[in-house]
Amino acid sequence: MSDKKLECPECAGSVELKADTMEGEIVQCGDCGVELEVTKGDSAFALQPAPEEEEDWGE
Amino acid sequence: MGESEAGHVSDEEAIDLLVKLVSIPSVSREERSAVEFLSGWMSERGLPSRVDGAGNAVGSQGFGSREILLLGHIDTFPGEVPVRREGDLFYGRGSVDAKGPLCAFAVAAARASVADDFKVTVVGAVEEEAATSKGARRVVSDRREHSVDPYCCVIGEPSRWDRVTLGYKGRLLLDVKLRSPFSHSAGQAPLPAEVGVGLWQEIERYCEEWNEKLEAKSAFDRVLVSLRSINSEDAGTIGIVRLSIGFRLPERLSPAELEADLSERLKELGNDLDLSFSGGEVAYRSGKANPLVRAFLKSIREHDGNPRFVVKTGTADMNVVAPHWPNTPMLAYGPGDSSLDHTPDEHVDVGEYLRSIDVLSGVLRGLMA
Repeated sequence: MSDKKLECPECAGSVELKADTMEGEIVQCGDCGVELEVTKGDSAFALQPAPEEEEDWGE
Repeated sequence: MGESEAGHVSDEEAIDLLVKLVSIPSVSREERSAVEFLSGWMSERGLPSRVDGAGNAVGSQGFGSREILLLGHIDTFPGEVPVRREGDLFYGRGSVDAKGPLCAFAVAAARASVADDFKVTVVGAVEEEAATSKGARRVVSDRREHSVDPYCCVIGEPSRWDRVTLGYKGRLLLDVKLRSPFSHSAGQAPLPAEVGVGLWQEIERYCEEWNEKLEAKSAFDRVLVSLRSINSEDAGTIGIVRLSIGFRLPERLSPAELEADLSERLKELGNDLDLSFSGGEVAYRSGKANPLVRAFLKSIREHDGNPRFVVKTGTADMNVVAPHWPNTPMLAYGPGDSSLDHTPDEHVDVGEYLRSIDVLSGVLRGLMA
């Protein structure tokens, strides 16, 4: 299986996915630096902004 | 209805485990009854268990070299919260921090079908709340003996069922004993208690200076300081003031650096002080690009969640074990709202507890696929 290229949803740059990429993986857009989550689209992988990081008090 | 690969722990049994474990008091250093109960429960459900040298409950399934370590803690903060169920909410000390997450680990592990090259271990560690982290340190030393780090590690702390905790702040505790001569209360010289208050205010200013230096905006990146206790007593011609102070540290400030720098600063004040530092732990933040995070995001989405990451202002056993296993993917997970930790209102939503077990089952399946 060859590497795949998908469009960054933030900057429309090209994001290359390795052949062994799996659903749930976090990748970074080389153009804008945003972190992206690899999700499963209807039939192939898709990219969406990675979950945001929140802050919580406590353990 | 919960997933049940092995089919031998129903949702009803999962709830029963939570109720029973929370019903057994287990403040730090008095965990034995709870440990024996959990150990027995795990042994009866396909997780052969033992009590290790530190007093931890340790159950495991599988014999492979890749260990998925589910490290919860079985001790609780002091204070009784009457055990009761009100609708979907289950109240009791430890229901959130952290017997809920620990029970979720035990049920998910008991339900798992463990692949040949894997081993799933559940630990109910002792003394997490005591700042000694005796149980977690034993888990580290056991693995050091065999020179094998876990393949991945999940710390059992409340994160909410659809979030994963990536990091905890560091910590340093300071006990100060201040001696100051008495003067007449109608005079101009400050009384010992006032000197003690002044010292506290100086420490607050000192922390603010650090935050300005670090350009810290968020709570995770700031130095947070709290006055845990202050009291004064007469001792003849002098007064003795004791202050107990807690620091929560960002990644960019280690306990050792703070201790050295603050000691120097307080010396300059010229007071007669004894400083005793303890409980130092460095802050830790896990990476996101690893198989463990990937398995959680996928499983949360499969259960109709919208996953989020969180970092916490507190300190947990993650701070203790993570520095020893730099190549082990690690995060904290468990049902419940951590703002209820240590409060008289501590409770967990039973539906959320069951859902977290389903997410964990999906994570174990994903990691071993």
